[in-house]
Amino acid sequence: MSWNRVKNQLIAKIITRYPALAKRFVDAYTPWESEGIPWTPFKKPLSECTVAIVTTAGVHHRDQQPFNMIDKAGDPSYRVIDGTRPVSDLMITHDYYDHHDADKDINIVFPFERLREFAAEGIIKGLANRHYGFMGHITGVHIPALINKTGPEVAQLIKREGVDVVLLTPG
Amino acid sequence: MGLIQREIERIGVPTIGISIVRDYTVKVKPPRTVFLHWPFGHPLGELGNIPQQRVVLAEAFRALCAIDTPGTIFDLPYRWRRERYEDKDLRAMLSPCRRGL
Repeated sequence: MSWNRVKNQLIAKIITRYPALAKRFVDAYTPWESEGIPWTPFKKPLSECTVAIVTTAGVHHRDQQPFNMIDKAGDPSYRVIDGTRPVSDLMITHDYYDHHDADKDINIVFPFERLREFAAEGIIKGLANRHYGFMGHITGVHIPALINKTGPEVAQLIKREGVDVVLLTPG
Repeated sequence: MGLIQREIERIGVPTIGISIVRDYTVKVKPPRTVFLHWPFGHPLGELGNIPQQRVVLAEAFRALCAIDTPGTIFDLPYRWRRERYEDKDLRAMLSPCRRGL
């Protein structure tokens, strides 16, 4: 593994353990500043809704291509997560937060089993067949790709599948 | 995360996001958010703490049902590792989601 990846993973470990230090990293990063706010009113009873998860925690299936950890600006691509496969088939590739806990219990970033319980209890109607994994920490040159290509692409797929609600989770 | 959320909402699917970095959320402006002042890598809480994960999910859905102003952030009151979740009433928490039934 490259020195740069080791360094990023070490920083991730430190800022997860010491949130006061995390603030310095957060303050040093200038996020994209958006204009306007898109809005779709939520009108359906929750118990009649099919829910999909979109996560930026770097979640993907073990047999899928991992996210690119070499490019300093991140990786704006996505992975389709098949909801019919066991949760044990999932893994995380993301050097910019400490995912040791999430490696042991993926529900803390990708609450698939909790949502399945909600469906069994009738709180929601069910889970979508497909969910989507991105990697956070996308900066600079890759932001336009996320906004103009992969973001709208996933939105289209979700719309086409008739999903009623999307829950988004970070890493 | 908020940038993807905005694209999904724009196409006509309602969304709710969980944020652990409030400053980013304020700038990126996703339509609906619940914020938790918790460490990176733990938006749903601690590993294996099922009651806690369920409460965060219920709070997210409550926000989805209750927020009617674009860009609203619900600041959740839960302190990291200093709360009990076992006796929270999820059904009561989800009461805003029963409208229309």
